Amino acid sequence: MSQSMVYYVTTILVYLGVDILACWSFNLQYGVAGILNFAFIMFQAVGAYTAAVLTLGPSSGNGGFQHYILGWTLPFPIPILVAGVVAAALAYVVGLIALRRLRADYQAMVMLVISVIATLVVTNELGLFNGPAGLALIPEPLSSLVSSGGYPWLYVGVTAAICVIVYLFVHRVTSSPLGRTLRATRDNQDAAQALGKDVVKLRLFIFVFSNAIAGISGALLVEFIGAWSPGSWLYVETFVILTAVIVGGTGNNAGVIMGALLVPIAFNEATRFIPPFGRPGLVDAMQWVVIGILAPIFLWFWPRGIIPERRRRFKVPAILLVGSDQSPTRPEMTTAEAKGEVD
Amino acid sequence: MSLNEVPNVPVQSFLEVRDLRRDFGGVWAVDGASFEAQSGCITALIGPNGAGKSTVVDLIGGALRPTSGQVLMDGRDITALKPHERARLGLVRTYQMSSEFGRLTVLENLLVGVPDQRGERFRTLVIGKRYWREQEEAVLVKAFGLMDRFAMSEKRDEYAGNLSGGQKRLLEIMRSLMAEPKLLLLDEPMAGINPTLARVIEGYLSDLAKEGLTMLLIEHELDVVDRLCESVVFMAQGKVIATGKMEELLKNTGVLNAYLAG
Ligand SMILES: Nc1ncnc2c1ncn2[C@@H]1O[C@H](COP(=O)(O)OP(=O)(O)O)[C@@H](O)[C@H]1O
Ligand SMILES: [Mg+2]
Repeated sequence: MSQSMVYYVTTILVYLGVDILACWSFNLQYGVAGILNFAFIMFQAVGAYTAAVLTLGPSSGNGGFQHYILGWTLPFPIPILVAGVVAAALAYVVGLIALRRLRADYQAMVMLVISVIATLVVTNELGLFNGPAGLALIPEPLSSLVSSGGYPWLYVGVTAAICVIVYLFVHRVTSSPLGRTLRATRDNQDAAQALGKDVVKLRLFIFVFSNAIAGISGALLVEFIGAWSPGSWLYVETFVILTAVIVGGTGNNAGVIMGALLVPIAFNEATRFIPPFGRPGLVDAMQWVVIGILAPIFLWFWPRGIIPERRRRFKVPAILLVGSDQSPTRPEMTTAEAKGEVD
Repeated sequence: MSLNEVPNVPVQSFLEVRDLRRDFGGVWAVDGASFEAQSGCITALIGPNGAGKSTVVDLIGGALRPTSGQVLMDGRDITALKPHERARLGLVRTYQMSSEFGRLTVLENLLVGVPDQRGERFRTLVIGKRYWREQEEAVLVKAFGLMDRFAMSEKRDEYAGNLSGGQKRLLEIMRSLMAEPKLLLLDEPMAGINPTLARVIEGYLSDLAKEGLTMLLIEHELDVVDRLCESVVFMAQGKVIATGKMEELLKNTGVLNAYLAG
């Protein structure tokens, strides 16, 4: 593989990993718990900024051309983990405001407003994350371990490992009674409350947990691309993730991988090969338009997405089969373990 | 008087509603309602449309906060508690509009019914399945038992959203029973469903009453009320007009007139 080909392939793979994490996170909120987090990209961004300022070293470095807080040099993977914690803390504060009330329109409105405020703060507070210019020259973690040619592959491996670890936790939520109860609150929050579910607490929990994943995804990305600025987290990016989740299959972790593959990745790559026409930037603008209309089209024609949420089936509990005439005809049903809770 | 002589204790009132009021922008939906529901039987809440019956159930269940007044369950003032806290004390309600979890299967709807499951706790994330597997097994056994009893086994894996109106009402009652309620509030569980299934549900409610479940039932059909309920609370225009046995209320023509007028 040529050097540029390696660069191309590994970059796509890292972006894919980051988008999969983002989509799992968004899906836990939107697909499982029914929270429409319009501030999603802010949580990814805070993770990216956190990892950046924990990796960059003092802001007097590189001739002091950028200004930012902290400026520490912590070893991998600490900046990524701390990014998750900081995103979780921010989610807790935002959640306390936005999720206290159960009305979905109120929640969406608060999130959108908070997202806009965050952009304004980061852009205007120059000493925080270097204002509109953003942060650059973020050092590559682990680069001392391998030759420069092998580094992108090492990072692909790191990304894959983080995806696997995160998946194990995501799966613990979606395959457990916790996930089931969250889906119940999504379908009918009043009825869930009447059955003793503390809907506010459950939502706050899943909001904190999944936005920690969003923060980790941002950290993973920034450590690879080495730069991050307000232009990296325009609020429309949230809609790209939303579209990916809707297209792939709301409420299905595998469907969401498909969505990550099709919407942010394939789409970006496909437009690369469209010859430029019209005014400069027209192709890019068209891309936003197409992504923008993709979600409503799917919601209209394929509301459940390409890989829909799975129907959960359970085996008859073993204890009910003992001595009953069902057991000889259904010998496979010897355990009550929920079958196929694998998504 | 000998020591072992049992005093004549009156039937325990399990639910007590004291002077409840609730307004919606100046309109008093409930305007000073007081009544009691006895332990171990069905109390009917009847009255014309707009009398405030559903609002009373919302106030008892905690979905709405009263403007003033109190709700006591088993002698305890629960007025300040949130709906989920009341549910954990054994107060479970159904809704006038069917409120199934539409994208969950029938069986899953039942499984959700058990409050405070281990697998719902956040510890699940750290410990994993071994933390909740055993309890889940017990919950499943209970759910299969209920599906058997209420003849819903065939619908086990059907999405609740695809059930007929009557089946949804039945599912809601079953889901409430998963919580092993001490007090069940039923808001017109037989309204708008076919008469055959309505009779079936009536039979189930009668059985549950015989088993000693305390219920407060909003119901339009007076024959059903007559068959099921030992005591009746009659509401009109946000107020409790009369309470007593059905035959006493029927003798009181003023009550009946109010009903027919509504
Ligand atoms: N959320 C609400 N907002 C405004 N008015 C309401 C609301 N809920 C009920 N009401 C009014 O309160 C009165 C009682 O309603 P309700 O309790 O549903 O009566 P019932 O169940 O006896 O038919 C009606 O006049 C109704 O219009
Ligand atoms: Mg009503």
